[in-house]
Amino acid sequence: MDVSHHILLSRAIGRTEFAGIHAPPQERISNVNTGHGIEIDDEVRRLLLRTMLVTRGIDEEAEQLQRQGALDLWVSCQGQEAAQVASAIALGPRSTIFPSFREHGVALARGIPPDELIAQWAGRTFCGWNPWQHLFFPYTLVLAAQTLHGVGYSIGARLQSRDDFVVVYVGDGATSEGDMSEAMNLAAVESASVLFICQNNGWAISKPAAEQMSTSVAERARGYGIDSSSISGLDPEVVYTECLRAARHVRTSRSPFLIEARVDRIRGHSTSDAHEQYRTSEDLERVAAADPVRVYSERLLERGVVDDRWIRGVAEDVGESRRRLIEAYAS
Amino acid sequence: MTAQLPPRLAESINATLADLLENDPRLLLMGLDIGRLGGVFRVTRGLQQRFGADRVRDSLVAESGIVGQAIGMAMGGLVPVCELQFAGFAYPAANQLLSQAARLGTRWNDTVAMGMVIRIPAGGGTRGVEHHNDSNEALFAQAPGLMVAFPSTGEDYDEIMRYAVDLGSPVVIYEPIRLYWKRIPALVGAGSSASPTSARIVRHGKDVTVVTYGALTHDVVRAAHELSPDVDVEVVDLRWVAPIDVDTILESVARTGRLLVVHEATRRGGIGAEVAAVVAEHGFHTLRCPVRRLAPGDRQHPPADLEHEYLISAEQIKKEILVMTR
Repeated sequence: MDVSHHILLSRAIGRTEFAGIHAPPQERISNVNTGHGIEIDDEVRRLLLRTMLVTRGIDEEAEQLQRQGALDLWVSCQGQEAAQVASAIALGPRSTIFPSFREHGVALARGIPPDELIAQWAGRTFCGWNPWQHLFFPYTLVLAAQTLHGVGYSIGARLQSRDDFVVVYVGDGATSEGDMSEAMNLAAVESASVLFICQNNGWAISKPAAEQMSTSVAERARGYGIDSSSISGLDPEVVYTECLRAARHVRTSRSPFLIEARVDRIRGHSTSDAHEQYRTSEDLERVAAADPVRVYSERLLERGVVDDRWIRGVAEDVGESRRRLIEAYAS
Repeated sequence: MTAQLPPRLAESINATLADLLENDPRLLLMGLDIGRLGGVFRVTRGLQQRFGADRVRDSLVAESGIVGQAIGMAMGGLVPVCELQFAGFAYPAANQLLSQAARLGTRWNDTVAMGMVIRIPAGGGTRGVEHHNDSNEALFAQAPGLMVAFPSTGEDYDEIMRYAVDLGSPVVIYEPIRLYWKRIPALVGAGSSASPTSARIVRHGKDVTVVTYGALTHDVVRAAHELSPDVDVEVVDLRWVAPIDVDTILESVARTGRLLVVHEATRRGGIGAEVAAVVAEHGFHTLRCPVRRLAPGDRQHPPADLEHEYLISAEQIKKEILVMTR
């Protein structure tokens, strides 16, 4: 990768620095058959990367708007773009999603406009988008409350002979809530068609996952009788493939499944958090080096799936979206 | 020819639920032991056999899960009617009720119906053990987005439940446990309610207004009859503790000039305090003497052997009225 790539990528994804970071070696891939009869073609790869770059740009702009006082709070999803975007694209536009509160990449992949996404963080509304139009339901800050809603929605849909496939997003910290245990047990007992996607970013604000649980979330799910998998949530192609496979499993077996996607939290829990106080500089350097947006950008550039011109085009689109957000919220 | 016995409250509730299940396909019942067993109070007896296990659902022992999944079902257009078995077991469900059910309609910018009913058997007087006697209606009455009813008769229950299932936002209905299996004579001389959400004047009088609700309504009416004709007591059955039918109370107090509020829940921060405050704000000039509240003091519901000194009796109600009218 030459210097011009670095500059273009920097423009595409905002202020992220690349100096001194070397792309990890990657094996060559093209249209890889993943072993589940699922193929990823270059069109999908470009869609994954484009949506990840957009998510990163919107996230960075929202954070800056908060610093300016235009937003009251922002909860960054940086480090979780691959897990969010790839799962949303794999699951398609018609699956009903019960998010937690940090699934901005899912929202953007669903076509929710950035200004609608951030409206609630500017104190303008409780929910800026139309939940029914996008089948992406409102965020909740009451952790794990939505897990029961999702299971109930699925059970009810089955009773009404409607499509009962439901996706519930939850964070690792929220899995300590009683509602998550009740939801997993209920989904298992009722054999509800619910796909739980737990993004484990390793931190419940300042409490590390190792102090939250003695097993993985995936292992805990199996204790309730829910099939599960634990995957790297940093690689969008791994996430995409696993979500397609898991969704197929849920739809055909009409039973729940849980994916634990291991991700990193690059920024603090929220703009009110100062995670430098409780995280080591080595840890923060490690997650920056593993930045899924940068790593995937470099990978697709190296493989010729995208080129400078393509990256430049995305950067311009992202820049335009950011300008529109500034106009809507800071002028 | 024998006189027709009045139905028991549990039988009335059962008939209302059966009729709603029969005629409203959106409706389903959920709760602990409500199906096979017919509920620990047998209020839902026979309904699962008649309507099937899909519509009369035996829930897991997880109150938050009952209300949480009901919210999801309501989002999809169903109208779940959930039983929480005992008011003392409602606390694990309070998060889903207060932070979710009560607020979701607003948080969805009113684009979702949240039609659901939470039935909560409540109150003492049955020698209930430990947490089996709670009356915690004031906790839920305080939450914007929830309506809370506490009817005292089967007729009122029927009217309130039919209103609740069509409302499109959550309603909590408290059911007085000690009336479930009592035959309660119709309230003689009771007026009809102006609307499903209004209070009801169940006895007209000119000397003092007694506002009450739930099981104690019948004790207040008995006290009123026993004081007649020396004191002419007007009895207002609130039926709803959230929202409170303020107009009916103010009009009654304007006629009698005196107000006593009687309830079984703790006095501190209770429904009586709210009623007293409303009358102080809007009807102070009509009062001839200070407002009084008759309700248990600041302590837990005691073990059954001591219940008689905790629960409000008709004798206490009479004494209180006499203090005010002497």
